[in-house]
Amino acid sequence: MELNRRNFIKFVVGGAAGIQMTPLPWKLTDDIAIWTQNWPWVPVPPVGEFTHVKSICNLCPGGCGIEVRKVDKRAVKIEGRTDYPVNPGGICPLGMGGLQLLYNESIRFTRPMKRVGPRGSGKFMDITWEEALNILAARISTLRKNGSPEALAAVDGNPIRSTMSLLIERLFKAIGSPNYVRIPTIEDTFGMASLLMQGTDGPMACDLENADYILSFGSGLSNTASKADQWVAAKPGTEAALALGLCHVIIKEGLYDTRFVNDHCFGFNDWSSANGKDHIGFKTMVLDSYSPDKAGQITGLAPGDIVSLAKEFAGAKAPVAICGKGKGALNGSLYEFMAVNSLNALVGNINRPGGVLVRDPLPLNPLPEVELDEIALQGLEKPRLDLAGSMKHPFTHSLINNFTKAIIDSSRSLVDTLLVFSANPVHTIPDGGSFRKALKKIPFIVSFSPFQDETAYMADLILPDHTYLEKTEDFIWPAGLQYPLYGLSQPVVEPIYNTKNTGDVILDLAKRIGASIGSAFPWSRFEEVLKERVKGLFDSAGGLVDHDGSTPAWQRQKEGGELNPDYKSFEEMWKKIKSTGLWYRPVHTYKTREVLFKTPTGKFEFFSSKIELAVNALSEKGSLDTALCDMAISGKGDEVFMPHYETTKYDADRSVYPLLMMPYEMINLASGWVPTPPFLNKSLFDTQLRGDESFFEINPGTAADYNLKQGDRAIIKSPEGKVRARANLSEGAMPDIIYMPLGFGHTAYDEFLQGKGVNPNDIVCAGKDPLSGLPVWWNTPVRLIKL
Amino acid sequence: MDSPLLPEGVKRCSTKAFFLWTLPWLGLLAWGGLSAFLCLWKGLNQTNMSNIFAFALWIVFDLAVIALGAGAFFTGFLTYIIGKKELKNVINAAVIIGFICYSGAIAMLGIDIGQPIRGWFIFWHANIHSMLVEVSFCITCYLMVLAIEFVPIILGNRQLSKIRELNIFGHNLHETMAVFAATGTFLSFFHQGSLGGMFGVLYARPFAARDGFFIWPWTFFLFILSAIAAGPCFTILCTKLTEKLSRKKLVPDNAIQLLAKISAFLLSLYMVLKIADTLGWIYGVVPRAGLKFIDFYQEGPYGVWLVVCEIIIFGIAPAIILLVPKARQHDGWLIAACLMTCMGIVLNRFVFIVVTLAIPVMPFDRFWGYLPTWQEWGIAMAVIGYGFLLFSAAYRYLPLFPKERELNPVTE
Amino acid sequence: MKEKHVPGKRYGMIIDLDKCTGCGTCTIACAAENNVSVRSDESDKERSITWMELFKITNGKEFPHTEVCYFPRPCMHCEEDGRGHHQPSCVSVCVATATKLDHNTGIVSQVYTRCIGCRYCQAACPYKARYFNWWDAYFPKGKGLERYLSPEVSPRMRGVVEKCTFCHHRLMRAKNLAYAEERRELEEDEYITACAEACPAQAITFGDLNNPKHRVSQLIKSPYAFRLLERLNTKPKVYYLSNKDWVRKLADNYLPGEFEKIMKLSG
Repeated sequence: MELNRRNFIKFVVGGAAGIQMTPLPWKLTDDIAIWTQNWPWVPVPPVGEFTHVKSICNLCPGGCGIEVRKVDKRAVKIEGRTDYPVNPGGICPLGMGGLQLLYNESIRFTRPMKRVGPRGSGKFMDITWEEALNILAARISTLRKNGSPEALAAVDGNPIRSTMSLLIERLFKAIGSPNYVRIPTIEDTFGMASLLMQGTDGPMACDLENADYILSFGSGLSNTASKADQWVAAKPGTEAALALGLCHVIIKEGLYDTRFVNDHCFGFNDWSSANGKDHIGFKTMVLDSYSPDKAGQITGLAPGDIVSLAKEFAGAKAPVAICGKGKGALNGSLYEFMAVNSLNALVGNINRPGGVLVRDPLPLNPLPEVELDEIALQGLEKPRLDLAGSMKHPFTHSLINNFTKAIIDSSRSLVDTLLVFSANPVHTIPDGGSFRKALKKIPFIVSFSPFQDETAYMADLILPDHTYLEKTEDFIWPAGLQYPLYGLSQPVVEPIYNTKNTGDVILDLAKRIGASIGSAFPWSRFEEVLKERVKGLFDSAGGLVDHDGSTPAWQRQKEGGELNPDYKSFEEMWKKIKSTGLWYRPVHTYKTREVLFKTPTGKFEFFSSKIELAVNALSEKGSLDTALCDMAISGKGDEVFMPHYETTKYDADRSVYPLLMMPYEMINLASGWVPTPPFLNKSLFDTQLRGDESFFEINPGTAADYNLKQGDRAIIKSPEGKVRARANLSEGAMPDIIYMPLGFGHTAYDEFLQGKGVNPNDIVCAGKDPLSGLPVWWNTPVRLIKL
Repeated sequence: MDSPLLPEGVKRCSTKAFFLWTLPWLGLLAWGGLSAFLCLWKGLNQTNMSNIFAFALWIVFDLAVIALGAGAFFTGFLTYIIGKKELKNVINAAVIIGFICYSGAIAMLGIDIGQPIRGWFIFWHANIHSMLVEVSFCITCYLMVLAIEFVPIILGNRQLSKIRELNIFGHNLHETMAVFAATGTFLSFFHQGSLGGMFGVLYARPFAARDGFFIWPWTFFLFILSAIAAGPCFTILCTKLTEKLSRKKLVPDNAIQLLAKISAFLLSLYMVLKIADTLGWIYGVVPRAGLKFIDFYQEGPYGVWLVVCEIIIFGIAPAIILLVPKARQHDGWLIAACLMTCMGIVLNRFVFIVVTLAIPVMPFDRFWGYLPTWQEWGIAMAVIGYGFLLFSAAYRYLPLFPKERELNPVTE
Repeated sequence: MKEKHVPGKRYGMIIDLDKCTGCGTCTIACAAENNVSVRSDESDKERSITWMELFKITNGKEFPHTEVCYFPRPCMHCEEDGRGHHQPSCVSVCVATATKLDHNTGIVSQVYTRCIGCRYCQAACPYKARYFNWWDAYFPKGKGLERYLSPEVSPRMRGVVEKCTFCHHRLMRAKNLAYAEERRELEEDEYITACAEACPAQAITFGDLNNPKHRVSQLIKSPYAFRLLERLNTKPKVYYLSNKDWVRKLADNYLPGEFEKIMKLSG
């Protein structure tokens, strides 16, 4: 056939029509349909067998029960447990995002490493566990050989009383270093307030379930506070004056529980001591110094509001006043907590349903005494760098800000080797960035963090721990819980990287150091230590090891049911605890008030004998004035021994820094040592973070003084430094206060966190809380410069 | 150089001049090409569209060009169905404008959807309740009709018409044009209406929601009416622009005047109905939702001025000008009025798309702003560049204006 | 003989705003359950994907009388489009039938593999409950974050719209379990959404609105129960509860005097 134009056209048209009769177009259409739905870059999660593993979340001290859904070996979702009494099915945002911490390889250490580049360059070299442990053991042995074991220091962020922290403390004792420093939390302040007023250094808990009126002293912008019956917005740092102002009204109107105050309290009325010295009582002090007018003046509240609030509080059936700041990851103010607790005492609400519960510690077995060798004994004689427990701060266990300051102020390296456990002090300590500076003076830093946090970034040796989802650890009576509870987590997944449980690492390390240290750690595995302690629970008799959320034990008990433990032997109990993850006594046992208080007077002390003893002891070395000055107390006379309001002393010139900056913790942003899972970024408002800029909250009136409109950028400058953030005008913010969220401003981690927002800790000028010496992080004088 | 391709007996600029003239439009096309590539390769994150502004510049452009392109079907309707013979002098231009507008709009839509490869799902898994399905069906079919209407004009090219088969084919096609004009009219009525319906049925957005007749909200009818009022104006503008640029008279005045007169009548009717609709909205839809008229004009740049512009400045004013024979016979006034009418229609489409989405519905939600990215402008501008190129080429190589030779005898 | 009409399920939800602390767990539980992609910048609220989005409202009063309330907003699973048609606005506008109201469950589904990404549904939804994938799902190579993805919900590709499905896969899961145990009916709490399950304040109650025994159907009878933008007549199946007048007032638009009348009726 001749190929002319006509034929060509025929051919093309005919061909085109003919193809329609073939399966080709339909096949192609079908293929496109499939093809457009399977892009190679959209992940396809593999299917597999569904299983559930029950464990406990350790991302905050709350210790919620979690149930992790797994598909074959992968964990795919964390859910709250309904068979764990702490949380009836729900969990917090942080816990919900946990899998992103487990599986995000770019924020984790996957194997032991040692630094090769300059410090802070992030250049590390892979080494084996053998090498890593030998390096550290040799370093510690050398320190001991040189007679300076105290040059080994620890910063430990593990929960107080946990076996992990006990083990670390034990290691330091065996080695002979007193410089075991803990990250301060609200538990420290609770413990001290409880010790001084109730005689037991234990966590305080309030029976909120049975309370009918909750008065929250949590300062500014707290979500929980917004749901309390009354949220009192006193100027930050003046909460004590408010509490005492309320006490004033309650005493003056005769609304207090006279029976409790007369029978079980010490120091309420004026009194004379054995040596004939007259003392004023709490009543006189409060009536003299905290009239509603005066309290109003200090706190910025209307006196009328204070009066009506006091009447409302005292008039309720089961009122409870709760103190605290934010989520409780940071310490509070001691006198303030005592003042708030005085309110509870006045209404007789101590050790009563709906009130403050005085708790005994869990009956866990103590670990056997450590036999100290000569080097250790000598080392432990040396004073702690942070002066905690010294005569100046006799009730405080750890003072990390003092620790930092001591290192910075010294001309030589006071600390040779620093071990950091479950902590990221570079980011989380409110010290205006001092800890980072202190690190420069420490020759050798060892991080046990599973995460590539700011502190680990500065380390010389990395001995990465498992994440919480890969290991077993214990949870000793989580903060705020009314009844005794012991929790035990279990590995949800096999460790996905070459990491090791720090508990096991310590046992191994102790053996490598050898001698008396090795023999102080006779266990071969961390789990054995846990088990040994739990034996004490068995020996204490009773306690349940499972929980049914639909018919809780307390309900069964109310209905007259028996609450007998369903185990016979310790081995059986241990096996059960390992699977259910808990041991608890479902109800708080109320002791009689006669035997309740372990204070020197055996009563609830408005006037703390222990403070008196401590002040007197220190006064003997100098004068009373210098003693008070050393203890950072500005009060005078008898009020020093009682809860009272202390005016904050500012080093800064308030005419230059007229505003106050208050960092605040957000429930949906991790501000502790654990990084924020990226999921949480979804729940932040764009008035909290926008792009890489975080916001500060400011009252619209104050903002107007600075000509700031919503979203405007400004520099917040304190004597310690400055940060740049954007303004979020918020009616809920107190005038003249600048609120800055904690948890932003990371220099470490990956694109989800790094460089997002600013860290208010960088500009905090932390004064010292009177008596406790803990950092006063909640009111830093600042000025605002609009950009 | 390309003289053998040029229509006989008319004067055209030199090839070089034509080439230079195309450069800026080619530039726009290149810009659009790059933008399109980025949007298809990297996705719609290249735009400033968002979950709030799900529809934005492109949809405004789409609706605007489709409304303005309505001149094609309406002129066709008037020419072939009503039998207004004088409009034969502009029908070719109108068809090409229509073709440009519709093909441009469909190309933009192809980029606008998130999964262009699945675009055919509209037909495959059609949801007959969706106004957008109606729109898609009609504009796709109508584009085919336009293409068919375009074919005889292309075949009118001096060289192509020498081929006998094509000549016959073109002639026969031309003879059956009334059928296609009727089909086009039918399709166009529906998709112009559905485009309005698309917004009128947003019942949960009180700003756009309208009551209506049977399944059609009032916007359905208003969009048809506004499109057929503005379409002829746009055809007039395009021919006037061609005349200005070629410094020649191309279309007899009677054709232009007829279009203007029809447009004036339709625009006036549209304005009456639009005002009625606005009043109905203010006293019906708005208070039913618990709102007041002024609530919609409180935030951002969108104030009551929008209503004033749309109804008075770009509505009633051009209607009056076009209604007055003296005024519309004056070239300046005519062009001004046509321009105003077109702007009014574009503003109307803008309001229904962008302002509807910008105004938050939830009482506690806030107002969001939107500015297009260069990629979005690129695609939009490419349609303009494409329009200029195709129209210029059509003018240069095809017998676009049958009366051109008659009106401009070549004197040599 | 005409078959007796057995009403299906109408799953719905009620959120107690007076209990909600605005912690955001619902948002996160939802994202974790449904494989929602997390990008490095989630602060661009116009483009980030949060099926359960949290809004913050205040009574607008000055310090210290300011009150704050949080509004968690899932997909409302509307039953009507506002003009009495028995399908929600988004469903009636969808060009490719990629979203449907299942009349047996009341759940408004979204078929990602059919969605063409025209976003008309977003324009139709007054609650902003629909989210477009402006980017590919973000699971960079080497991070390993894809390891937590659940096989029950397919991750979405770029260019499609997604939204809350009332954790439809959990209904499937619960049904399969029930069928395996030879039961035809689900118990009240067998099927609940991830947000309801996770809420630490237990502010979210989920269940069958057609079943008078379910807590949710009892709770919606409260005079303090209301729906968001109720006047638009979209008939959402998500209810809210608050005894604060200012909160209820902010949930809809009222002409002067209108709300006061309702207040009196309910009070």
